[in-house]
Amino acid sequence: MSSTVERRTDAARSRRPRTILARAPQPDRRRRGRLGRSGRESLTGWLMVSPSLVLIALFGLVPVLWSFALSFQQNDLQTPGTWVGLKNYERLSQDPQFWDSVRRTVEYTVLFVPSTLVLSLLAAAALNRRIRGITVYRLAVFIPVVTSTIATGVIFSWLLDPDYGLVNATLSKVGLPTFEFFASPTQALPAVVLMTVWGWIGFGALIFLAGLQGIPTDLMDAAQIDGCSTRGAFWRIQVPLLRPVSGFLLVWLTINALQLFDEVYATTKGGPSRATTVVVYYLYDQAFKFFHAGYAAAIAVVLFVAIAAVTALQLRITREEPTPQEGRR
Amino acid sequence: MAADRPTPRLPRGRVARRCTAVIAVGAVLLVGVTACGGGKASSDEGTTITVAHGYTDVEAAALKTQAEKWNTDHPTTKVNLVYNGGNDSALQKTVAGFTAGNYPDVAYEYGSSAAQLARQPKLVDLTEKVKASGFNWDDFYPSERLAATVDGKVVGVPALVDNLSLVYNKKLFAAAGVPEPTNDWTWEQFRDASKKLSDPAKKTYGWAYVNDASEDTVWRYLAMLWQAGGDLLTSDNTKPAFDSPAGLASLQQLRDMAVTDKSVYLDTGNGNYLNLFNSGKIAMLWTGPWDLSSINDDVEYGVTYLPGYQGNHETISGPDLYLLFDHSSGRTDTAVKFVSWLTSAPVHLEFAIATGDLPLRKSETELPGYQTFLSKYPAEKVFVANLDNVKHVRPNLPEYAEVSTAVGQMVQSVLLGQAEPAAALKTGSQAVAAALAGS
Repeated sequence: MSSTVERRTDAARSRRPRTILARAPQPDRRRRGRLGRSGRESLTGWLMVSPSLVLIALFGLVPVLWSFALSFQQNDLQTPGTWVGLKNYERLSQDPQFWDSVRRTVEYTVLFVPSTLVLSLLAAAALNRRIRGITVYRLAVFIPVVTSTIATGVIFSWLLDPDYGLVNATLSKVGLPTFEFFASPTQALPAVVLMTVWGWIGFGALIFLAGLQGIPTDLMDAAQIDGCSTRGAFWRIQVPLLRPVSGFLLVWLTINALQLFDEVYATTKGGPSRATTVVVYYLYDQAFKFFHAGYAAAIAVVLFVAIAAVTALQLRITREEPTPQEGRR
Repeated sequence: MAADRPTPRLPRGRVARRCTAVIAVGAVLLVGVTACGGGKASSDEGTTITVAHGYTDVEAAALKTQAEKWNTDHPTTKVNLVYNGGNDSALQKTVAGFTAGNYPDVAYEYGSSAAQLARQPKLVDLTEKVKASGFNWDDFYPSERLAATVDGKVVGVPALVDNLSLVYNKKLFAAAGVPEPTNDWTWEQFRDASKKLSDPAKKTYGWAYVNDASEDTVWRYLAMLWQAGGDLLTSDNTKPAFDSPAGLASLQQLRDMAVTDKSVYLDTGNGNYLNLFNSGKIAMLWTGPWDLSSINDDVEYGVTYLPGYQGNHETISGPDLYLLFDHSSGRTDTAVKFVSWLTSAPVHLEFAIATGDLPLRKSETELPGYQTFLSKYPAEKVFVANLDNVKHVRPNLPEYAEVSTAVGQMVQSVLLGQAEPAAALKTGSQAVAAALAGS
């Protein structure tokens, strides 16, 4: 009895479809001879990636370390800085404007990430079919992604103009209430969410679509034979199998949401009444408007730690767990 | 300071970001390599100078012509013009350049950036140099000289001068049956006209105010504050002074018009006000010469002084500057010579005729070419006359950016109807005091 169960779980395990983010097989570790074949190979490998490594170190790692050092200084970027120890961090912990910007960033992330995930999934499901002209639709969904942020910002400030915008004109035509959007301290952040969700759906849909197309068709065929409706199969089979993909998107979108800057810079400049001054915008003001570079670096370090923590947490949550049929390992 | 228009940056797709970065890095490396390869060896290195500017279109072409003329007339020196990507971010770019050890000999900067750059160890102190015979420092308008001076030190040479005047659409006034503005208009007349020219049904407004809390929001308020006899800071620049009857009167006027009358279009900083002025949705602007070239040909407009408070029609000017940075004595010498030549009366008048920029020096208005300027740009006459209504300048402090931000937030909160003028003054005043105390 028990053996049949085991066999069945083995079979189930081997039948599990590979999704696009399946773990890469680990290479078996063989002991290397002194620059034997594998040694030479790895040297070649390192040589191949060294240009990228040098660039990443120079333009990624060095600035990161430099800003870390900068965060312990008072520095106006023009005259030699002075070491102030943890003073920037102390001031930061008591800076109400900084905490306001943190609150707004969290608000934005909480609004932006789930809506983008859900809408991307629906868009991907809609695009995952074989009908005439599907490439045109796919292209249409993806266009916002390749549109420059500045262009998007300009277009949206016109679309959402309270007095002359197309959106309000349409709303009032059909007798619905109109909005102030970017002009109102309470509506500006939701308006930025609206704009950025529009800009990111294409990216999310692309990733989800790749995930959906990685799901073997025989699974879906089997579901249909068992009398499962298309909708049911989507929610009960495809969506659960997209788990690693959603995990990746969740992390990716969250990182981007916490670093929101361009869209704010292009539309509201952090206003009105600081309503859209998110953390990175506040950092920008401190660094490049007031030239408090040390203080801004401290903000950057805090943001870096926060993003690292949130990402680690999300990765833990979304890591693949065994499905119930497999039993707990 | 010319208009705070956002300058479009390089388009960046989201996904392509990483590729762009790699390409950019590659480009930087290439540039670096070529610069290292070709820069140091040239024999006249000491007399080749770089001039960074943010001029575009007509102004850029005019400057290029003048630089070429200089290069032809001075074969031993060479001026290289470099576009800085737009003056709105010239300060950021210049400061970043110092960090990277790659900075121009001459940089065009807003006057409001002067105090920030005055700390720069490489900045050339021009205090003695402008006293040289033939420089005629006193020929510059007083507001320009004040803007170029930080703590008694001359840090730059005036590059451009402007001021705020009232620009109005004649057709809209005629249609509404409202008498056109005059140089003697009072705040009350202005408010009254703005109200009559507004129509919520047609979404037309009497006036527009840039309300993004930037310096663009602040300087219009400063003009009103000064008209009412107030000032931004105490005379020693250590404390805020605008929480005063004058400060209250100016904020109250803004509130009356924007919140009570709803006769003001609040521009969110994207510069839509000009398109709306062109399409006849806005009747009056407080703006400077830089906007005139963007007004459509079919809009018949007039220009007057700003409406005044008890007969005071003071306005505000944002002189921009050429700042000089030291590489070597030879290069600095060339830079001083070039800038003196560029800002001398006959040379600048040519530039003004080509571009419509206002004369920089009083003596330009006495040259015969000035009549050509006036006949080519009839509307500029008021702007030139209005230079005499510039009495104050913004305080030249390193903390000015923070002071400006606090005042901008204050004005914005009143215009949006979020705060009463008296309460907003208190809040703004506290924020400015904190900024000045360096906390």
